[in-house]
Amino acid sequence: MSDAVLTLSHLRKSFGSLLATDDVSLDLRRGEVHALIGPNGAGKSTLIKQITGELRQDAGTIVFEGERIDHLDTAARARRGLARSFQVSSVIPAFTVLQNIMLAVLGAGGGVYRFVRPALRDPGLTDPARFHAEQVGLADRLTTRAAALSHGERRRLELAMALALRPRAFLLDEPMAGLGLEGARHLTTLLSDLRHQAPILLVEHDMDAVFALADRISVLVYGRIIATGTVAEIRANDAVRRSYLGEGA
Amino acid sequence: MARETLLTLAIMAALLGTVIVAQMMGEGFVITLATKATIFALAGVGLNLALGYGGLVSFGHAAFFGIGGYVTGILASHAGAGTAVATLPFTLMGSNQMLGIWPMAMLAAGAAALLIGALSLRTSGVYFIMVTLAFAQMLSYFAISWPRYGGEDGLSFYVRNSFPGLNTLVPVQYFAICMALLVLALIASSVIVRSRFGLALQAARQNDQRAAAVGIRPYALRLVAFVISAMITGLAGSLYADLNRFVSPAMMSWHMSGEIMVFVILGGVGRLAGPVAGAVVFILLEHLLGGVSEYWKALLGLLLLAIVLFAPGGLIGLALRRDRHV
Ligand SMILES: Nc1ncnc2c1ncn2[C@@H]1O[C@H](COP(=O)(O)OP(=O)(O)OP(=O)(O)O)[C@@H](O)[C@H]1O
Ligand SMILES: [Mg+2]
Repeated sequence: MSDAVLTLSHLRKSFGSLLATDDVSLDLRRGEVHALIGPNGAGKSTLIKQITGELRQDAGTIVFEGERIDHLDTAARARRGLARSFQVSSVIPAFTVLQNIMLAVLGAGGGVYRFVRPALRDPGLTDPARFHAEQVGLADRLTTRAAALSHGERRRLELAMALALRPRAFLLDEPMAGLGLEGARHLTTLLSDLRHQAPILLVEHDMDAVFALADRISVLVYGRIIATGTVAEIRANDAVRRSYLGEGA
Repeated sequence: MARETLLTLAIMAALLGTVIVAQMMGEGFVITLATKATIFALAGVGLNLALGYGGLVSFGHAAFFGIGGYVTGILASHAGAGTAVATLPFTLMGSNQMLGIWPMAMLAAGAAALLIGALSLRTSGVYFIMVTLAFAQMLSYFAISWPRYGGEDGLSFYVRNSFPGLNTLVPVQYFAICMALLVLALIASSVIVRSRFGLALQAARQNDQRAAAVGIRPYALRLVAFVISAMITGLAGSLYADLNRFVSPAMMSWHMSGEIMVFVILGGVGRLAGPVAGAVVFILLEHLLGGVSEYWKALLGLLLLAIVLFAPGGLIGLALRRDRHV
């Protein structure tokens, strides 16, 4: 598959006797939103963590932009353009919105070992940070501490940090969680445009968002992918209906 | 100007003012006390970089304080005797010039920190505290069992090292040297904290998973912070050796590590002037209460407990209230 940006082959990961990732193969292609759905505890977050390097797989390979990244640590994978958001928002609480995004700009661009010039007066950091804040609609919250943001704003801050990495692929773990109808709709519009910048692997329970955004869907149950296909194919798949979507879908 | 900066300036002015008044009234002892507070503050400024901004609870900073002290004592004693410290791999003569001694003390402390940090930073939490403590104790026992430089009894040298243009044996002149270095260290640390490096270091303290997810490696950052921190504390050790014209294994004991930690926690973890406030209050208490009762440290313990429980921002945090630090 020449236009695959990210390819997982036969990944396996167990926690003790629990097989959380069971021979998972999956790819993420240029320009697409690939949704990963499945019941609680299916192993979706565990899979994301193996891609980012927070967890190391027991077997299988991960190829990103034509190169194996299995041996790289999380920071190195992030610098290659693997940008993730966390299921439970994870930001730097005492930093302002601007500082949080600057941190991501710094991580992506390098030059951490500079000790003299104040970071807040370094346009190499502040200009891109302001730009990404604008992109997610946080331009008027630059000096607010992340700890004081609303849940929805913190989600957007995470997205801005992901954007600041100049990502080659997004890994978003339930970005809609807890956003409410209005917030989810707003984020759906935002994500829809992002796929052209970099493809998105989207873990999401909100099926409205998944059906609105996804080009393809993979269904994970007990660590195994039971189906991959287009929205229509997945909607029509009996096994998926039984195990996950329920009767109403 | 930020309120914290104003407070820092006020504290420094108070310290300086005390010495000026003491000088006019001929109170040499007060000047010596103020010098001691200044040196302890400098040691605390070093630790604060690791502990306050990096989140590295080092219970072994006395090692660096002691290394700074021993480098000074060893160089000075050789200079006094006119002998070489080492002849291999190159000849290293003794020295009684502070300008030569300081960089050596800082380099030695930094090199030790690189080694100790590289190993101890692989652990975290309580283990980090214990590993740093263990290294400092090892060094302290080494000093005790090394007869060449005094062993358990420590090492005296008779003349304070010299500084061009000053008579370092005059208390107020030596105070001026220590004060100038403290000011420089405060400026350096406030600059570092605001820099790119400072941004990354403080991010890693608060959330290292997040830092890694945006491409920042906490380990190397912390190691660099640990080394810089140790160099500042090592410089303080050098000044302390010169203040007393004496070094001993006690400088590296866990009591000393604890005291440096107390300066930082009492004054305010991660506040620029925290260690200065902490060291000044420590010396004041020691002087005022130490004469009244041997149990003054129990009182200090109570004060520390109250601070930790009710004012985690320390004295500086209390003074500033509402103003939270980054
Ligand atoms: N570090 C760990 N140690 C042991 N078990 C773990 C660990 N992390 C996850 N698990 C287990 O692995 C399984 C998969 O967890 P994971 O968090 O990946 O599920 P998920 O699909 O993301 O679920 P959710 O939709 O609730 O977020 C669960 O049974 C979980 O309890
Ligand atoms: Mg999950």
